[in-house]
Amino acid sequence: MNRRYAHALLLALALSSSKHAVGELDRLNDEALSEVSGQGGIYLSGDISINEMGGPIENGYFGRCDDAGKKCGARLAYRLKEDGGWMVLDEIRGNFAFEGLTLRVRSIDSGFAGDGEAFNGDVVEIGLPDTVRYNDVRFKIAGSNTPRPTDPGFQQTDIFAVEMQGDVIMEGNLLVFPTGNP
Amino acid sequence: MAGIRKHIVVTQSVRGVVLALSAPAMADMQLLGDEDMADISGQSGITLEMELGMTADRLTYFDDDRGIYLEDFRVGSASQPGKSAAHVIRVDITDEASLNLDYLVEDRRIEFGDIRLAGAPGIGMGGIFFDHSLQGNLRISPGGAFGSSGYTFDTAYTMTGGRLGYRTNGNEVFLDDITLSVEALGVTLDVVGSTLELNAPRVSGSYDVGAIRYSNNPANHGNTYDVATGQALPSYGGLSGSFDLSSKTGITAGGREGEGFRLDNETTINSASFIYHDDDHALAFREITGQYRLNDLRVDVTADRYGRDALGFTLGSLNGEFNIGRIEMGASGQSIGEVNVSFMLQDHIYNGRSYTNAVYLQGGGHPDAGSQGLRLSTEWSLQLADLSYTEDGNRVIFSGLQSWGQGDVTVNVTRDGELNGTRFYDGLRIGFENVSAGYRVNGLRVGSEDAPLQGGTELLLALGFYPAYEFDMDGQVTLGAGGASGEGLTINSDIRIRNGRAAIIAAPYDEGAGEVSQKGLWISDLSYDAHVRDMTLDVTEDGLALVKGEAWSLMDVGNLRVGDKDAGSSFGRFVAQKYETGSSMIIVPGGAGNVCAGGSGGTESACAASGGIWEARGDEGITIQLKQILAKEVSDARKNALTWETNRQVDSSGKPINNTGSRLVLDDIHTSDGGDFDGDGVDDNTFGIRTDLSVDVYQTKVVKKTDGADALGVVGARGDEKIMDPAAGAGYRYVSSPTTADLDNRPLGFAVRARSRFKELSINNIDLFHPTGGPQTAVYGVKMQNFDIEANLTATPIP
Repeated sequence: MNRRYAHALLLALALSSSKHAVGELDRLNDEALSEVSGQGGIYLSGDISINEMGGPIENGYFGRCDDAGKKCGARLAYRLKEDGGWMVLDEIRGNFAFEGLTLRVRSIDSGFAGDGEAFNGDVVEIGLPDTVRYNDVRFKIAGSNTPRPTDPGFQQTDIFAVEMQGDVIMEGNLLVFPTGNP
Repeated sequence: MAGIRKHIVVTQSVRGVVLALSAPAMADMQLLGDEDMADISGQSGITLEMELGMTADRLTYFDDDRGIYLEDFRVGSASQPGKSAAHVIRVDITDEASLNLDYLVEDRRIEFGDIRLAGAPGIGMGGIFFDHSLQGNLRISPGGAFGSSGYTFDTAYTMTGGRLGYRTNGNEVFLDDITLSVEALGVTLDVVGSTLELNAPRVSGSYDVGAIRYSNNPANHGNTYDVATGQALPSYGGLSGSFDLSSKTGITAGGREGEGFRLDNETTINSASFIYHDDDHALAFREITGQYRLNDLRVDVTADRYGRDALGFTLGSLNGEFNIGRIEMGASGQSIGEVNVSFMLQDHIYNGRSYTNAVYLQGGGHPDAGSQGLRLSTEWSLQLADLSYTEDGNRVIFSGLQSWGQGDVTVNVTRDGELNGTRFYDGLRIGFENVSAGYRVNGLRVGSEDAPLQGGTELLLALGFYPAYEFDMDGQVTLGAGGASGEGLTINSDIRIRNGRAAIIAAPYDEGAGEVSQKGLWISDLSYDAHVRDMTLDVTEDGLALVKGEAWSLMDVGNLRVGDKDAGSSFGRFVAQKYETGSSMIIVPGGAGNVCAGGSGGTESACAASGGIWEARGDEGITIQLKQILAKEVSDARKNALTWETNRQVDSSGKPINNTGSRLVLDDIHTSDGGDFDGDGVDDNTFGIRTDLSVDVYQTKVVKKTDGADALGVVGARGDEKIMDPAAGAGYRYVSSPTTADLDNRPLGFAVRARSRFKELSINNIDLFHPTGGPQTAVYGVKMQNFDIEANLTATPIP
């Protein structure tokens, strides 16, 4: 198989609510696993939270989360034109909890319906946790005329807000490897 | 000892010895034979009072016709140069034919002005001086550990007002105000075969160093106070501690080549402590125990691998183990936990090349610093070391640490200013020249030495810790006296690394079937230039504080490779420029404390209600508080920027040519407090990016991700929890509905809680550079505000 084609097949992220929806990615059996080097790796359990109680700024716009009159999330603004307006992700907050996020470097020279033999290389494997628990994850998309909400003449138009709660099934492995000319 | 053929020559005069004798008369003194001593009993003793002043231009030691000179040798008064030192010695012989010496030495200085090698004219290693007053006794008894032909020594003494200094080119660093008490009873000296064996079954004592001082004024030689200002010379801090040792030393004739001598030593540290004092705060290493075995250390006057004359120390092997029961810091003296190090230094092959352990001492130091200094032509091979850290009873082992390298290390005491085109700073300068070195860690083991290897060092990347690193290095670190206030250290440093290969993620180099090429994610073809100015190191009431004045660096990663460090596929080139002002790192005792993992809430019940697991991680552990103040660009060399380049052209050897490909540049990244609050016309920048990294070893929840057998053949269903069970074959089993008892046996992991906060982080512009089309700005500014991100992660082996 063409090596580039093999690369394309291997760059697969299995992100679905069903454990069967993994395309051509085959699970490695024990024999194949025995040929995998770099068994060290890590299995991570824990959580990541953003602005759980608020951020470090206390001013007229930002404050702690128990202050209803203030925004307690994080804010990211960028602009694509030199004198243009700013796209904003505002009030970014939330908590993600998981068990089983794995990280290792892995050699692949078999499996994957024959693609592995053609690939015959090393990848960084990020093993996705089966279940990620989203707790009050939210952000807003907005447009603003200034990068800081405390700048003079600040105006902002919220476009839409996203809020996520509950479990998300994330199964499979994310294989990261270089391709093309470095 | 017939094989020892040494020549010691004293050149010039020995003068000024004045003896005053209390009865009986001095003229009667002769060496006593064993028979005479056996007949002597009940002597009332004699008292010798001496004013000793002695100088010698040169003492020479020859080894295989190569000479080493100890020049400008002087014994006399410490406080009054040119005067003599007072000695009072009372000599007595006991009923058991032992010779008793009670002595009092006041204000004595023993000094060498320089140490030179015959084959290296014009340069010297620098001078050493030793001031002290001594009071003690020594009993010499006939008969050693192996028969009547040896000797037994019993001694106890107290040294006060001590100074021990090292001096190059008129600048000096010295331990000041040393107090030392030592008791060594039953020390035996025997000739065993061809070896002179010294056995000290117990040596105990305590020490106190009032200050470690620095002077850049030759007129201050050996003074506590500056002669010009009357102020105390700046201090690095003081030391104190105690020790209780047992040791056995063998000295044998014959060097690695021809003449010379061999040393073997076994020492057991029964107990010891080491405390560093900085003003009113202490960093204490307590409950130290351990042992080491020095095997076949040879000392020769010889030449190093480049043919340079040197005093050579070549080692057969050195192995041992040390345990530090408590490491205390901060105002409350809280312990971060216990540290254990086991090590083996001996010849070994790394990357196909054999390394040994040797140090070749030479004179000169840095060639621009003056004629005096130390040059250590070194080679080392740490074949194996395990470093373990235990906190609240739980242990993590950095397993299989190896290190190797060779190169020159120079040591000079320097003063601030430019000399012969090189910039020097006040302090003890340690230089690196053509150092080619590396280290690697096989992995972490959590819980016990037979736990499976796992990763986890990835969680410490924020501290700049890589699990494997090979590099060529030049540069210098100058340790100045005085910290941010009062005592402490001020550090100025310039480091240049080339041909670097550092692992961000690394698989084990030995999984039990022998050493293999280590797979990983590598920053390879690395060039790294780092500069630090006026960085202070102090022990404070919080812990150990490192505050950078100004720091800038350029890290050019030629290729970010996956797999093999040299041949792995490349993601392209990454260049990181950093420029920081006022950044800091504080090491604080205590880990994360109480943690709600996977949930939220400040109490156990609130945590459980949110679906989290309440983890009381205890009082010990360690927290590292980082503050990175990314300054706004002041020049092309001093700014924060990140570049990713791909699609580079290649030269005739197939090597990519930098700056010929497509580049993505995040330019002028800087932090801010979000406004100009002090009205100086510039945004304030005092908060920076603050990251608290808390490290603990604690239990965690590990869930099976697939049905069936895992890598070790233990069967379980998807979603089952891993529970440690010594009765199970692999040491664990999978449980679908764990009981309360099962939950107490969750596996231990390497737990890192990282909390990063910043008020504002800006990117001035993001540019795309096309190899032919030139630069184009893609994003005209990014501003991130009010971030507080907490990651609470525990690393365990992949089941």
